[in-house]
Amino acid sequence: MAFLTKLREFSAWHTVAPPLVFFAMLLVVGVFNSNYLGPLGISIATASAAPILLVALGQSMVLNIGSIDLSNAAISLVGAILLAMTIPAFGVGAMIAVLALLTVIGAINGLILAYTHVPSFALTLGTLGILQTTALVVSGSETIYLSENRELVTTLYSAKLFYIPLTFWMGVVVAVAYWVLLRLTRVGQNMTAVGKNESGAILSAIPTKWVKVIAFAISGFTGGLAGIAIVAQAGSASASGLGSALLLPGIAAALVGGTSISGGLTNPLNVVFGALTVAFVPIAIQAIGFNAAAQSLVYGIFIIAVVTLTTTRTRGLVIK
Amino acid sequence: MRNLSIKNLSGPTGILAALVVLIVLFSLLNPRFASVENLQNVLFQVSVPLIIVVGTSLVIQMGSIDLSVEGVMGAAGMAWILLSPNTRLEGDIGVWAWFVALGLGLVLGLITGAIYAKLKVPSFVVSLGTWYVGLGIAILLYGNALLPSLTSEALARWPTQLTLGLPNCFWLAAVILAAGVFVSHYTKFGRGLMAIGNNEPIARSNGMPVDRYKIAAFAIAGTLCGLAGILATMQLGSGSPDIGFGQLFVVIPAAVIGGTALSGGEGGVIRSAIGVFLLIILNNGLVLAGVDPDYQSGVFGMILLIAVIAVAWPQRGRLKVAK
Repeated sequence: MAFLTKLREFSAWHTVAPPLVFFAMLLVVGVFNSNYLGPLGISIATASAAPILLVALGQSMVLNIGSIDLSNAAISLVGAILLAMTIPAFGVGAMIAVLALLTVIGAINGLILAYTHVPSFALTLGTLGILQTTALVVSGSETIYLSENRELVTTLYSAKLFYIPLTFWMGVVVAVAYWVLLRLTRVGQNMTAVGKNESGAILSAIPTKWVKVIAFAISGFTGGLAGIAIVAQAGSASASGLGSALLLPGIAAALVGGTSISGGLTNPLNVVFGALTVAFVPIAIQAIGFNAAAQSLVYGIFIIAVVTLTTTRTRGLVIK
Repeated sequence: MRNLSIKNLSGPTGILAALVVLIVLFSLLNPRFASVENLQNVLFQVSVPLIIVVGTSLVIQMGSIDLSVEGVMGAAGMAWILLSPNTRLEGDIGVWAWFVALGLGLVLGLITGAIYAKLKVPSFVVSLGTWYVGLGIAILLYGNALLPSLTSEALARWPTQLTLGLPNCFWLAAVILAAGVFVSHYTKFGRGLMAIGNNEPIARSNGMPVDRYKIAAFAIAGTLCGLAGILATMQLGSGSPDIGFGQLFVVIPAAVIGGTALSGGEGGVIRSAIGVFLLIILNNGLVLAGVDPDYQSGVFGMILLIAVIAVAWPQRGRLKVAK
């Protein structure tokens, strides 16, 4: 315990915890069953982590400004459906158009938030409902299979670099890009400032409204990339198929990756490990030989334990 | 003066008016809407979310959030049916099944509250965790065997039986609602929760046992979710880990539409209850009016959007901070 306390006082605890948790889990799995750490295990884990990672990256950018985007997983699902419908006819152009559309949807979330001062939880819960209906209506409640130009997206999943599919690498590239954005650009610094202290940011003449719009637009854009990853993996899209339950894993991955739910603290590079951890839990449970039915239980205990270990506790801070 | 008029608009009057408009509109669209059978049907549907929303409001009033609803419902519902007369196990322990299932809800709520208040982990995260934990317990109880169905006719019929013209399940919900109103308005504890939501540091410096109140609020919410899980299982007649599916996205919008601010310190149990009525009647009316059920979540979403914007609009300000 003394060691833990010391580690917590160590200012970089936040940055080391997420990879530490992931590698600790790898170690445990390796002890029980080394087969899961082979090439096949790696490609399965990273493939299932890819959509979670992309959704989580968008979510962590929104959490960083102190808001939450409950609609971003639904955005990626709508995106996947639209992609499956348009790629056969328009190819790459369709991908660009869908990404642009989803970025606009995200930005609309941000605009409503910035100009009406509604709580983001309630607002995005509303847009979540609308997007769910959109997904059902657009797809006609059916599974849409990619007929032509199938290889255009599915290669993203089937082509592998170091046993890891390109969809996951796409997530890593986005993570690095967002890390650069947050750490090295003025826009990124403004976002963190809004998350740490919004009143302070307003009084410092930071364009807080635009910061919010940009953060939500990023969330929509990244949701679109997650949509591409879904279509690449499944070769099809439907309102209830692969990717329809990404919201909670996405939030969990962002939190396990050390993102603070109250804002002002995120590290996109660590979200990569958060997503890997979240995607690896079911595999780990199987490897250790637990009943597959225990998955949810372990998942829940895991989220609480990891966040309990990494959350900030300043004296006098009000935790909601 | 400005503040007064805002209070009136965002208060129960506005939402009650909306409710009346909906009822009139749906009655005109389909005469069956206003029939006695449909009224009983609405009361049947409304009772489960009504029980949950009492706990949800108490938690939201103090500025926290409880996402664990569906998981706790699943765990309690499964525990209850496996200990009542059912097709799977011979483990009927009669009335004690209620105590075990409600106790499970209570313990899950206590765990959420204790980790939140004592270990200072945001309630959003803790209750997300206990959602999974509850769901996990339910799935483990469910196992791979047959679907457990209720074999006791008396228990299966109880929710739909009429007492004084109203279904029993609604009476149960009404009693819980009345108790909730009493606790939140007329007890030190209830006022304390509101004070915590308004300004926690001040509540604390006035010597209020803030941590204990927080834990108690989550414990109540957990127990009520347990009760809702039992009732939903009874209504369905068989057990399922997903018995609470979709309830979270009824009760939280209902609380918000009713004017309970997610930042805490505002709203109340009654307002959230009216929100539940609004959403369920809306759903029922749309089905009767022949609208495709696919549109349900979209309509809910639209209403939620309009409601939050209408509440927040007069309170906009350049320096306002809304998370």
